[in-house]
Amino acid sequence: MKNAGRREPNVIPGFGITLGFTTFFLCAIVLLPLSALVLKAAGMDFARFMDVITSPRAIASYKLSFGASMVAAGVNMVFGFAIAWSLVRYDFPGRKFVDAIIDMPFALPTAVSGIALTTVFAGNGWIGQYLEPLGIQVAYNWIGITVALTLIGMPFVVRTVQPALAEVQRDLEDAAETLGAGRFYVFRRIIVPTVLPALLTGFTLAFARAVGEYGSVIFIAGNMPMKTEITPLLIVIRLEEFDYAGAAALGCVMLAISFVMLLAINLLQVWGRKRMMVSR
Amino acid sequence: MSIALDQVTKRYQDQPVVNDVSIEVGEGEFFVLLGPSGSGKSTLLRAIAGLTGIDHGRISLHGRDVTHVRARDRGVGLVFQNYALFRHMTVADNIEFALRVRRMKAAERRARRKELLQLVALEGMDERLPGQLSGGQQQRVAVARALAHKPQVLLLDEPFGALDAKIREELRRTIRAVQRELGITTVLVTHDQEEAFALADTIGVMNHGRLLEVGNPNDLYTQPATRFVATFLGAANLLLARQSVDGIRFGATPLSAEGAEPLQGGREHEVVAVLRPEEVEVGTAREDLSSDFIARGAVEEIVFTGALERLRVRLLDEPSAAQLLGAGSASGDPLIEITRTQPQRRELPLLAGAQVALGARRLHVLPTPISSFLACAPTEAEAAEIAREPLLESLSTRMKTRVSLRAIDGLAGTPAPFAGVAAITAGSQASETVEWLMRHGAGEVLVLPKNAPSPARVFIHWTDEAVRRATLAVSASLLRHVSAEAVYLGIVPEGDATGRGTPMRKLLDARSEAQQSHGLEMRTELAIGETVTEITRNLSTGSSQMLVLGITDITQAGTAYRTLLAAQPGWPVLIVYRSKDWGPGRQAARSAPEIAA
Repeated sequence: MKNAGRREPNVIPGFGITLGFTTFFLCAIVLLPLSALVLKAAGMDFARFMDVITSPRAIASYKLSFGASMVAAGVNMVFGFAIAWSLVRYDFPGRKFVDAIIDMPFALPTAVSGIALTTVFAGNGWIGQYLEPLGIQVAYNWIGITVALTLIGMPFVVRTVQPALAEVQRDLEDAAETLGAGRFYVFRRIIVPTVLPALLTGFTLAFARAVGEYGSVIFIAGNMPMKTEITPLLIVIRLEEFDYAGAAALGCVMLAISFVMLLAINLLQVWGRKRMMVSR
Repeated sequence: MSIALDQVTKRYQDQPVVNDVSIEVGEGEFFVLLGPSGSGKSTLLRAIAGLTGIDHGRISLHGRDVTHVRARDRGVGLVFQNYALFRHMTVADNIEFALRVRRMKAAERRARRKELLQLVALEGMDERLPGQLSGGQQQRVAVARALAHKPQVLLLDEPFGALDAKIREELRRTIRAVQRELGITTVLVTHDQEEAFALADTIGVMNHGRLLEVGNPNDLYTQPATRFVATFLGAANLLLARQSVDGIRFGATPLSAEGAEPLQGGREHEVVAVLRPEEVEVGTAREDLSSDFIARGAVEEIVFTGALERLRVRLLDEPSAAQLLGAGSASGDPLIEITRTQPQRRELPLLAGAQVALGARRLHVLPTPISSFLACAPTEAEAAEIAREPLLESLSTRMKTRVSLRAIDGLAGTPAPFAGVAAITAGSQASETVEWLMRHGAGEVLVLPKNAPSPARVFIHWTDEAVRRATLAVSASLLRHVSAEAVYLGIVPEGDATGRGTPMRKLLDARSEAQQSHGLEMRTELAIGETVTEITRNLSTGSSQMLVLGITDITQAGTAYRTLLAAQPGWPVLIVYRSKDWGPGRQAARSAPEIAA
């Protein structure tokens, strides 16, 4: 047992250093601020804490925040898939350009996209003026919030689905076709199941991003309490009132709900991946 | 016929990747499409499956024309190199896929699945996922899946490519056994000649999108018709020999060879002979050989491979020795390849450097009309320049033959006889040069414009039916080595009162002869008007075109075709000349040089 305790030499050296850095950054950048948040919230007594987080205004904002994020991520899953599909499968003039434009929401300051969306969708905006007579109001409405969140989350879905789609071998579709399957059947039974893990990842990322989004939403939302007020905005309002503990309490609730939802999606994915046996 | 392909052509960006391929596969036959990568064999298989549309031709399966039938309605089973299993489905779901699509009842599906798993020896693996199986097992599942819907035809695209040698052999046996048991017509695509030999009832060899030869494995190995098949199916030494009235000879001594057509009064000419490594006899001296002596040489390299010993021998340059065409070695002189069995090795142990005498137990002469090239120009340096022309260089490389140089200053005197295809540059002088070369024995002259690209379309035309056979033979030989379409151009003079029936019949005759005697698939076009004008017009219709022209009258080169050969920038023209005197029955032989004329 001479070699007991000695690790196999790895191709990439520096395991100790990299693990050290990982732990350090996780602590300094993620865990520490989060702990501070929880500590701050713990400063208030339980009754008051419950009072803050279950106030009707807070509950309405949770519903809006998570509901709109869910819808936006869902919309992104469908259209993001379509965009990724056309980018991977077809070669059309301007494909490179479209491919580059996908990343724009990543780079744009969110406030800018918020203002831009408001300009377009407001009652007198480019698109808003045609929707208004039809009775569809986008800006200052939950629809507007969803539109903003969709814009913000779209690249996440496209960028995660794209490589997965590129990897779906044409041979699989060809094989299914020679076995007698029609196009829709191939899509439903072969393509969707194969890219589902990536699609879920994209959904998760888009959802997480949407929940935390602030900048773009506040411009288009109208921010009416109980109606179009998202939780992050409510937190900011509490801060402006110097109610730090209240802000922290709301923050904790968001953290908890987000954590539970992300965990659930991740577990779903692990299960799916096991079924797929992606590792060859 | 179970599978019938009729003149199937598939182009990608105007380049034919499958070029006029016609195949017939009989009921229950195991047909192997063999060729190097990029030869178009996989595209052809996909075309049979219906996954790739074709630009020209017809495909029928069991007498039903399926050219425009979708893949899913063709009733074929296809197995891919990378298995293409549905990784999110169990083995059972994979196999039942085709049955589910057809809405078969669960109980029937299960019964069929059990049957198939037993067939490929994978009982009890039903609930596994593809990721949990080895490569060989996955490919078995793929075979079972492809057979589930009882297809009439099984297609396999390099099915063993991703497997290691041992499993490959095992799976090969399984597939052969399954194919025999079901009696299903099967087409397998591979680049591995050993695999082709092991499995095939019939092998079709493809290169550059063309089907070169079809035959049973033994015939193709022992009597190949083309250089490519000779060298692709196993190792082959290609030797330049001369064929004369008394047979084949390298130097002074004639020797026996199969496949050589007897000469009928013609002068001797150059041929290409195939000598398999195992047919070379090695002895210490010429007198020890029991077979025909071909050359003496020095052993350069000995490789022990278990059952066989491989020798590479450098031939000594002696006037009586065989001339080896550059097969195998890219650098320097070609070496002759020899394999010996262990008993042979024990009889005459050899070390590197030993001097040996080589004999040929069995020689096979290729019926190819293009043996080698001879670049001709006023000076040797200019001839070397011709030899470096991209088209000539690519032709000689692909044909695995040589380009010799010859200075023909002033077109005067009586030159040594020309062997092989003479190559000259195009231009105003070209027609005189062609005429002179032909008067002095050249049978084929290739006129090359500067930097002519490899042709995409080759027009074929002959002025007299007497050169039809020779022109077709040369065209077929040329087209086996370039990926171009062949078009026979029939030309009727304007106002010809004999009616249109005769030229049409001629077209069809030409096409069927090309197909039957030379394995050349060609399109036909009929033009009405003056010959040279019509040829020029057709050559001008696209880029990268070439002409093969058969003539019986030497002066035609100098007169009627002068403008064609002098055109700028011009087209590569390969002129085939056979004297009319020899008549149709004697077309195999070269005509005697008309030095007196």
